[in-house]
Amino acid sequence: MVNRQMKTTFTVALTAAMALSVAACGNSNDNSKNNAAASTAPDSTNSGTATNTTKSDKKVTITFQNIYPDPTTPSYKMVHELKDQYEKEHPNVKIELDTLNTDQQKVKLKTQAASKEVPDITIVNPAAQMKPFVDAGLFAPLNDMLDQNGLKDTYQSGLLDYYSFNGNVYALPDGNNIEVVYYNKDLFAKAGIAKTPTTFEEMLKDVKILKDKGITPLAIGEKDSWTGSFLFMNILLRTNGGPGFLQDVMDGKKTFEDPAFVEAVDAFQQLVQAGAFPDGATSIDANAGGNIFKSGKAAMWVIGSWETGAVDASSVAGKVGAFQFPTVNGKGDPNQFMLAPGSAFAISANSEHLQETKDFLNFFASNLPKKQFELKNAVGLGQKVDGDLKAAGYSDLAITIAGLFNQVKGGDLSFDNTMNPATSQVHLSSIQNLFVQKMDSAAVAKEHQTAFEANK
Amino acid sequence: MRKFKKGIVYLLFAIPVVTQLYPLLWLLLYSLKTNEEIMDGSFFSFPKTFQWHNYSEAYTSGSYLKYLSNSVFVTGITMICVIVLASMVAYAISRFRWKYGNIVMTIFLMGMMIPMQATLLPLMIIFKNIHVLNTHLSLILPYVAFSTPIAVFILSGFMRDIPHEIEESAFIDGASVYRIFRSIILPVSIPPVMTVCILTFINIWNEYILAATFISSEKLKTLPFGVYTFVSQYSVNYGNIGAFLVMGALPVILIYFFLSNKITKGMVAGAVKG
Amino acid sequence: MKVLKVPARTIAVFVLPCLFLYVCLVFIPILVSLYTGLLKWDGLTSATFVGFGNFKNMFFNDPVFWPSVRRTLLYAVASMLEIPLCLGMAILLNRYVKRGNTLVSIYFTPVILSVVIIGQLWKTIYNPASMGGMLNGVLISLGLNSWTHNWLTEPKIAMFALYLVSLWQFFGYHLLIQYTGVQNIPDELYEAAKIDGADGFKADRYITLPLIVPIFKISIVLAFIGSLQAFDLVMVMTAGGPAHATDVISTHMYNSSFMSLKYGYGSAIASFLVVVCLVFTGFINTIFNRIERKFN
Repeated sequence: MVNRQMKTTFTVALTAAMALSVAACGNSNDNSKNNAAASTAPDSTNSGTATNTTKSDKKVTITFQNIYPDPTTPSYKMVHELKDQYEKEHPNVKIELDTLNTDQQKVKLKTQAASKEVPDITIVNPAAQMKPFVDAGLFAPLNDMLDQNGLKDTYQSGLLDYYSFNGNVYALPDGNNIEVVYYNKDLFAKAGIAKTPTTFEEMLKDVKILKDKGITPLAIGEKDSWTGSFLFMNILLRTNGGPGFLQDVMDGKKTFEDPAFVEAVDAFQQLVQAGAFPDGATSIDANAGGNIFKSGKAAMWVIGSWETGAVDASSVAGKVGAFQFPTVNGKGDPNQFMLAPGSAFAISANSEHLQETKDFLNFFASNLPKKQFELKNAVGLGQKVDGDLKAAGYSDLAITIAGLFNQVKGGDLSFDNTMNPATSQVHLSSIQNLFVQKMDSAAVAKEHQTAFEANK
Repeated sequence: MRKFKKGIVYLLFAIPVVTQLYPLLWLLLYSLKTNEEIMDGSFFSFPKTFQWHNYSEAYTSGSYLKYLSNSVFVTGITMICVIVLASMVAYAISRFRWKYGNIVMTIFLMGMMIPMQATLLPLMIIFKNIHVLNTHLSLILPYVAFSTPIAVFILSGFMRDIPHEIEESAFIDGASVYRIFRSIILPVSIPPVMTVCILTFINIWNEYILAATFISSEKLKTLPFGVYTFVSQYSVNYGNIGAFLVMGALPVILIYFFLSNKITKGMVAGAVKG
Repeated sequence: MKVLKVPARTIAVFVLPCLFLYVCLVFIPILVSLYTGLLKWDGLTSATFVGFGNFKNMFFNDPVFWPSVRRTLLYAVASMLEIPLCLGMAILLNRYVKRGNTLVSIYFTPVILSVVIIGQLWKTIYNPASMGGMLNGVLISLGLNSWTHNWLTEPKIAMFALYLVSLWQFFGYHLLIQYTGVQNIPDELYEAAKIDGADGFKADRYITLPLIVPIFKISIVLAFIGSLQAFDLVMVMTAGGPAHATDVISTHMYNSSFMSLKYGYGSAIASFLVVVCLVFTGFINTIFNRIERKFN
């Protein structure tokens, strides 16, 4: 009896399991077919540079995870046009775009990485943020592919270092930006401010003038806490008298309780106390924060130069200029910038079609600059491109920004690109806190130091 | 005095009508405004001219139909599975005489306390190994699994109270258990099944964390994912977002208002003895 | 009473398909998660076993953890306090309105809307007056300027602003459950009571309340579990900010796992959440069983 019972139970369980797996096959048809094709066909040797049409009938699907969801932006158009072109030239290759917004993509990639299921091409941030992925052996080195078609030489010198570990390049950036202060010339004129501030004291004075006129001085969307941190780090870059503060902390040469850091917190709090930011800044997300500026409601916006194209496409186009972040307490060099090497394309080390993916990315990265230039999105490009901005009809703002690029004399990466994720999270929320309550600067410094030591 | 009391009571009923229905009206107006009108934030105002083009733009740029049909497919299959599987278990728990009924019930009830987010990574690993990632099955399976506890709970509560004379007479007539289940128990249980339907529907129709994580192919993505992506796009056109939200909410609202009376009845029937 | 004595095989056919799916996709993952809670793991590189190290950190070294537990429990208390209110409303509805179903359906509407929509709506309501926030606008027009606040960004207020949204959204849900419970009480009981001279609130005291206890319990348990797992709404509206002022257990778990890349630690928080859920639900059950016994 017992035996029979066991047997029936087992049979039922088995049937259920089979039903499940049959259904699974039925549904994943697409995938498994591709997998089968991939595993039977031998890996193609270094065939086909990107521009040639390879006459292989091996069907290949490349998953391309990306963060360009908005059809109205140049980046979206760039990705789609290059994808279409490549598929036309390589009928056997299908590029499947997995388009997500930035937050979704971060979480998805982390989940995928934890189960070793990284898409063929994905997007990562430079330096400290991509290091855990590289350490886990998830990305394929791209050195061989960079040597094809002279791709490597198109990148600005030193840029690829942010994506290199142990002598291997693991990702190719979509751009290279700096942090600037955009300002609305009309609103400045309305408030009677004749010239842009070159010192932090002047900036504070302007903030108060603007505030009195009922104009929001500085736009920000601090629900996404990196925005405030990005601004804060620019102040720190000045109070420290130059770049390298976080590196010194990591090397044990300084601590967060260093006077330069405390001074930066103080200065930042002065901005908050002066009412520089919109009401309820910490509940505004980054896009909405940018919109305060782009809809002409705020006078200044401290953000990466990647927004140039978007500002030019907004209702304040033509009224906007840009300047360097001022010196703080007489310290720092305005020509040192917060550097923002772009999000970068990495290839999964476990990709089933490694060679094809490399070929595609080579094509993609080689053609990206030209495409971006055509689409009026060449400001903050990480690669050299032939063409004259002015002649191509770029705005004055774009040309101003391009001018700032030529003055760059070094700088720092953002906090979360330098420090490990756990410490970064403490930092981000600590800065966010400054928006909503006045803190003792020494305590803020201490909080940083404690987190840093706990997460070494 | 009596009239006065009645007046107060009716006022008490009226206030929630306003507060609970207002969001729908708000969303509708929002979706028909220009960006400037929305940014003004005047909350009660009507748009100067109705911006119907918000809808056509949202429709064309948002892949609405594709997302919608995926959502309908996933939700539909899930609901059928939940109802069939959960009512079978509920029947067994509430009507069969066996030792482990209470244990099985407890196991299912424990499932209600498990937050879905905590299972994201283990699920990912399981799905990777049975090769269902990036298929609709990778959504349907967890949706069914996470919906069964509450369904079993409601259905078994109802089935416990079905008078057992019905079953007995059928049994004496020689009907099998399967037959009784199919032709007697299920038809009688339609009210609580409706309740289960709507509760399952609401949860699944709006779910996006699993959907965003397990699905990568554009052609397989579901509506909440579409709404979420649409909302968080870079340069923001609020009117379009509003329109997309309305289109996203519309199927739920329609279904809800068609079924709402049945749902209340089902709740009565289902929730009596938990 | 359970009537059918059927062969084990039949029981298996009825129970196992569902149980199998459920155990594989809900139970096993959470067990895996419990185990992960004992590891120091970033989700990427190899893990080290640290036993209860994560729990020790959680209980003694994490400045965010206990406040988030407190907020979560307060959330639960607030949601549970709403239920007597819903019951009162349900009794009134049943007494004064013939076709109460329509009203109840209307009250239920916010439940069916997605959190994205609800979050967007309430953010617009809570916005500062300078951005056209309705609540502040109304306060100003009533001359109550000093009552205006940045509802979602003042650390002391923000969490309560979130509680309110949640109470608003689930008002209809619990009202529906209570109303259906009240409706289900046979009219004969009231008629009999009337003959005995018990009417109105007196009848409620002696008939409605005792009979509604099981339904009341369901609502309480659902509200409790629901608010312990509250996640989407907080994510959409504040993402736990400003500076953790609105972090609840589930958002803290999510942020630890995916933002700070402390996957093991996040799993430990998840384990804690599940245990709290189990313990408290058991506790609620015991209390109500006592109450029910008292009434009988």
